[in-house]
Amino acid sequence: MARMKFLCDADRCIECNACVTACKNEHEVPWGINRRRVVTINDGLPGERSVSMACMHCTDAPCAAVCPVDCFYTTDDAVVLHSKDTCIGCGYCFYACPFGAPQYPKVGNFGTRGKMDKCTYCAGGPEADMTEAEYVKYGSNRLAEGKLPLCAEMCSTKSLLAGDGDIIAEIYKERVVTRGYGSGAWGWRTAYGDTVTV
Amino acid sequence: MNMKTLVQRFVAVLGILAVLGIVGISVTPAAQAQQINPTAQSVTEESLFEALQDDQMVEGRVSIPDGLSSGLIKPGNPSWASTHTGLVRNLSIAAVVGAIVVLTLFYMIRGKIMVDGKMSGIRILRFTAIERFAHWLMAGSFIILALTGLNLVVGRTMILPWLGEGAFSTITIWGKIAHNYVGWAFMLGLTLSFLVWVAHNIPNKVDAEWVAQGGGLLKKGVHPPARKFNAGQKVIFWLTTLGGAALSFTGFMLLFPIVAGTQADWQFYQLIHGIVAAGLSFVIIAHIYIGSIGMEGAFDAMGTGEVDLNWAKEHHSLWVEEVQGKAKSGDSSARGTQPAE
Amino acid sequence: MLVKRRSKDATRSGLAAFAQNVTAKPIDRRSFLRTSGLAVGGLAAFGAVGATTVRRAEAGMVDFSQPVEVKTNICTHCSVGCTVKAEVQNGVWVGQEPAWDSPINRGTHCAKGASVRELVHGDRRLKYPMKKENGEWVRISWDQAIDEIGDKMLDIREKNGADSAYLLGSAKFSNEGAYLFRKFAAFWGTNNVDHQARICHSTTVAGVANTWGYGAMTNSYNDIRNSKTIIFMGSNAAEAHPVSLQHILAGKETNRANVIVIDPRFTRTAAHATDYIRMRPGTDIAIIWGIMWHIFENNWQDQEYIDQRVWGMDQIREAVKAYPPEVVERISGISGPELRRVAETFATQGPATFIWCMGGTQHTVGTANVRTYCNLLLATGNVGSNGSGANIFRGHCNVQGATDFGLDIGSLPCYYGLAEGGWRHWSRVWDVSYDYLQSRFDEVPAKGGRDARDRKANMEMAGIPSTRWFDAATLDAEDVDQRDNIKAMIVFGHGGNTVPRMGDSLKGMNALDLLVVADPHPTTFAALHDRPDNTYLLPISTQFECAGSRTASNRSVQWGEKVVDPIFESDNDYAVIYRLSQKLGFADEMFKPYEMVQGKFSMEPTPESILREINRGGWSTGYTGQSPERIKAHMANQDKFDLVTLRAPADAEDVGGDYYGLPWPCWGTPEFKHPGTHILYNPNLPVKDGGGAFRPRFGVDREGETLLAEGSFPVGSEITDGYPQFTYGILQTLGWDADLTADELATIQRIGNNDPEAMANVSWSLDLSGGIQRVAIEHGCVPFGNGKARAVAWNLPDPIPVHREPIYSPRPDLVAEYPTREDGRQFRVPNIGYSIQASAVERNLSVSFPIVLTSGRLVEYEGGGEETRSNPWLAELQQDMFVEINPADASARGITDGGWVWVNGPENDSKARVKALVTERVAPGVAFMPFHFAGWFQGEDQRGNYPAGTDPIVLGESVNTVTSYGYDPVTGMHEGKVTLCQISAA
Repeated sequence: MARMKFLCDADRCIECNACVTACKNEHEVPWGINRRRVVTINDGLPGERSVSMACMHCTDAPCAAVCPVDCFYTTDDAVVLHSKDTCIGCGYCFYACPFGAPQYPKVGNFGTRGKMDKCTYCAGGPEADMTEAEYVKYGSNRLAEGKLPLCAEMCSTKSLLAGDGDIIAEIYKERVVTRGYGSGAWGWRTAYGDTVTV
Repeated sequence: MNMKTLVQRFVAVLGILAVLGIVGISVTPAAQAQQINPTAQSVTEESLFEALQDDQMVEGRVSIPDGLSSGLIKPGNPSWASTHTGLVRNLSIAAVVGAIVVLTLFYMIRGKIMVDGKMSGIRILRFTAIERFAHWLMAGSFIILALTGLNLVVGRTMILPWLGEGAFSTITIWGKIAHNYVGWAFMLGLTLSFLVWVAHNIPNKVDAEWVAQGGGLLKKGVHPPARKFNAGQKVIFWLTTLGGAALSFTGFMLLFPIVAGTQADWQFYQLIHGIVAAGLSFVIIAHIYIGSIGMEGAFDAMGTGEVDLNWAKEHHSLWVEEVQGKAKSGDSSARGTQPAE
Repeated sequence: MLVKRRSKDATRSGLAAFAQNVTAKPIDRRSFLRTSGLAVGGLAAFGAVGATTVRRAEAGMVDFSQPVEVKTNICTHCSVGCTVKAEVQNGVWVGQEPAWDSPINRGTHCAKGASVRELVHGDRRLKYPMKKENGEWVRISWDQAIDEIGDKMLDIREKNGADSAYLLGSAKFSNEGAYLFRKFAAFWGTNNVDHQARICHSTTVAGVANTWGYGAMTNSYNDIRNSKTIIFMGSNAAEAHPVSLQHILAGKETNRANVIVIDPRFTRTAAHATDYIRMRPGTDIAIIWGIMWHIFENNWQDQEYIDQRVWGMDQIREAVKAYPPEVVERISGISGPELRRVAETFATQGPATFIWCMGGTQHTVGTANVRTYCNLLLATGNVGSNGSGANIFRGHCNVQGATDFGLDIGSLPCYYGLAEGGWRHWSRVWDVSYDYLQSRFDEVPAKGGRDARDRKANMEMAGIPSTRWFDAATLDAEDVDQRDNIKAMIVFGHGGNTVPRMGDSLKGMNALDLLVVADPHPTTFAALHDRPDNTYLLPISTQFECAGSRTASNRSVQWGEKVVDPIFESDNDYAVIYRLSQKLGFADEMFKPYEMVQGKFSMEPTPESILREINRGGWSTGYTGQSPERIKAHMANQDKFDLVTLRAPADAEDVGGDYYGLPWPCWGTPEFKHPGTHILYNPNLPVKDGGGAFRPRFGVDREGETLLAEGSFPVGSEITDGYPQFTYGILQTLGWDADLTADELATIQRIGNNDPEAMANVSWSLDLSGGIQRVAIEHGCVPFGNGKARAVAWNLPDPIPVHREPIYSPRPDLVAEYPTREDGRQFRVPNIGYSIQASAVERNLSVSFPIVLTSGRLVEYEGGGEETRSNPWLAELQQDMFVEINPADASARGITDGGWVWVNGPENDSKARVKALVTERVAPGVAFMPFHFAGWFQGEDQRGNYPAGTDPIVLGESVNTVTSYGYDPVTGMHEGKVTLCQISAA
């Protein structure tokens, strides 16, 4: 079984936001929900780097640990998914997530956030694969179609990599060796407890 | 996660600015050099992590208005998660289980505290309707809040396996709604209780004596003097008031995250909320014990509002004197203390 | 294998289902459609209140039980030419998939490309024809719209003349649409026809074509993978051409290439540079001459290349002596050592390419800037080989094609001039008489001290640039060199907020008798003004709703299939142009060569038949080999083309040996099977394999020196030296005329009227048979000749460019030394830049307006931005118009990041209310604003001016409200990159 991961090669990321709109397009994500976003560090200064970030599908995901109703589950591909039927919208997963991945329909006061929504690694949810019921709640299920997440597939500079962790780490390593620099596998330490060393 | 780091959360924003400042400074000297090579000067995750202090985050700029989304990586968040699933969950379990164990032992050793003399049959009014309303508003809401709150912390391990995911989710959703609304009742009850009782709960010399005698709880026949509230009750009053206030404040902040500030603040409030709730649950369980099965005649005070004169003389001798003294001197302002003579 | 283990069961019952009903609305199709409908009702509804977790299944869900049709089209935003794969079910575009096989984008997109599916779901699209009646928008039918517009146009033609109708076309047209629109202008009888190239790369086209022959990118995005040194000057490709960065960054990594960014802003492109150099806006000429000063000083130039292929470099060598390091530093702020480093790197670490965009072109000295860039490339021998070249990244998806097909005030399709020869060529292709075309033009009476013009002279005189139409509408009629002022604007697919002086443009709009906006969205042209009547909106479909070809920046021609039918009541360009021509009375003449089919509301020509006509006439540019069949075969065989060379292997079926998209020039007839030209002017290949040479367009000698190449020629050439363009006469001289077939000869005879002298003058570009081209190429020769590039363009103002301060200069001390050019008249209107510059200095404007204001693109938006700001997936990412301001300037003014500010412009008390973005991206004393916003004007929200439901989600002030006067004398390009402003907290 593959261990699916994301890796954003920030030395390739140009903050073009294709990943963001590809995600919106693929899943018809409503206004205000940002399953993926691009954050620019040191904006406007030499050394500026942009990183595309979404749910990293952590090993031992902290969101899953704190969920009071245990609505998260991990697939055989190591994708962290959740059930919107079970979710109570408490917001604990957002507190726990190091990447700001969980999103809520409303920036709600008074516990009115609504059901949590986040990156599914284009793998849908608990409903039967590729059904309308699944689509309406979680968006499409590309993994079930044998495709990878659209954000990475459409990345303008092939900065955002998705796929088996070992394979994408290998691609990244090769790039760093070829070009002689690399700002790191952003988020890997935090999500997977290790990083890609070259 | 220790308290020191928790306090740091309050200044987390300043800290982040400081980190960015450091990063900025580290760039500036290079910027003044001949060649600006943005590739060579690129920030790396490693360097940012090294500069990162406890509970700070790697942060940048985003164009969307959602300010929260500018945080890229907050490596400290999983430690909040482990505190939540560790310390808070364990404390909550310890508070409830511990209280029950301690009280059971206490009951087995001391038994029910009976009125030493016989019941006089004379009832005197101890708590007015307003006082009882305040108490029961607070007590009732607290129980709901405690149960629904506890469910969020331990329900997943203790209840979910019994109910199954769907039903458990449903009761938890209802529990969440109840928790969010009943909290207001609790705050009202807490405020009323404070107003009507605070004057009686100022510590004084009598309390020292009461404490010295262990409140008479440990030995039969010992009844240190007390006014309307003995030192033990005062402790409960203040614990409830302060704990309740802490719960109210943190709860309010959790209900209004936009008012509360950043994610670090929410985590802090959530943590305080959980720990205080666990502690207060312990206190309240003890209070419930002593106000019900633990002591003969105690429940009446909050039940009907009237207590037996002898019970009152044993446990609140000074208060009885005060009340009766005032009544004899015809002080009509000593309300609700008409002995049933 | 991808298997999802389900430990979660989605089904729920009893208590759980009950709670579900209470806590979350049951999600049935009807209710979520209703909710999503609500969510597009207004901006407020997009915010916290109206958002839901449910999505629109009917619009974005693939039903896997039904067959999926995959359509191939091209992204309609920038010029990179990314292939779009559309999944269509029941006529609805339900999914967008990566187009892995395209050698250009290899599956990828930027934010805009990844969201194009929304365009054909567009809730904010213009839904039906509308007109303004007493200040209110009312819905009308297409018939009524065409009738009323046509009547008014004919009325204006009668009263004011054909030139009084301005036909503003679009870089969003397909090639066929652009060509048809140019032909429409010819049949209507005016040269007042233009499009976005005027405001993006008109100066590039003029500068480059005057240097070496053609106005286009010499290499390709893919070819930059070969470069060792890359200079970006005035180009922020990371935001403007994101997918190009795929090739550039890959090249940077594998070649360890030097990426040098010279820009006033530390752009997102600069963030990936190896060398960033900050410059003062508007000082390009001084900087390039400064670089060349170092090159000549150190003998780093490629002398052999210069000797063989360049004319006039000695004069340049002399001229740059006036730009030693200290002078250049004084002008530009760049130190000598920095420029020396750039010079050495560029000259010695080749192949080197130079990339520029609107930072270079949008200036009063735009054409001169371009010519200095060309000179730098020529001096270092970096044109006409792999990894080198002038890589001009163009702006819109078909700005190259629209330029090629003459949506231009100064040329006919494929750069045939307005002189009689050009008109006669196209009248032959169009099968109408030259006299008929001439009769369509106005006679211009003598006025303003100028002589009268007859129809022929008027037919051969360039029209008014799109940057000046409003001056031509509001100036005194005496000052406008045509029969009358502009009275009607017919705007197809062009924003109204993309040229400076919007306050004056507003006056121009109000002065018109007729304003027609034909566009998928009501643009600023529909919303800025307060015209009560005579304003029409025609809903035009996007290129995803019709078929046609488009030419990417690298000259590759790609075919787009119709993905879905035009939505709402919109219709495509072909049909609307046809109906207007019908109403105006020349449809029969104009459309007779085409195959007509029933369209949505009327008959319309097929794009294939239009392209075939282009193939029959586009000899000068090599637009003759790209038949619809060949282009479609390329789209179907994208996987055959190499990523770097763009060439298919010789044995590939249908496309063997071709370069992807048959980049022009693709010589001869389609049957000749020329592979196209990946790299222009490249002598390292035989012409039949895409080789070439510089084009001798300006005679064969000058000042006693030859203008033909010396000792340089394409591989396999039978003439091993320079030679002029091929004519029938030259073929005869060489004895190659015998190679012509009888048919080819017959065509040449027909064109030359069987007159031997006229026949001898029939050239490679007029020969409708393609025989002359075929024969020349078979002998290894370039049809247009083998000449030298011109370092000095003697026919232009400033034959050798000199630094000239912007009209509104922050350095009045330099204006005296480097003033702008004298006032004059260009393109039928006066250009009084010199007077304005002098007045600005006199009034000390650099003191009251101390900040230099420049402008540029954001990745999320395109052009005037109406379309992209109407797309919620994009609009969410940039919700406020802003100005970038340096922290020093901000703190001196009490301005905080995110706070509202007023930006005041130097003319007409103009002002704009925007948000401040405090950043070191801009230097102290420099501010930057993106140019995609509109819908606010000087603090006033004009949302109510749009027809209900068509207002873009995001509105904001236009930068061009505060930009100012200034025009390039060669093309009328505006000064969009340098003006002065003051900024204060609002």
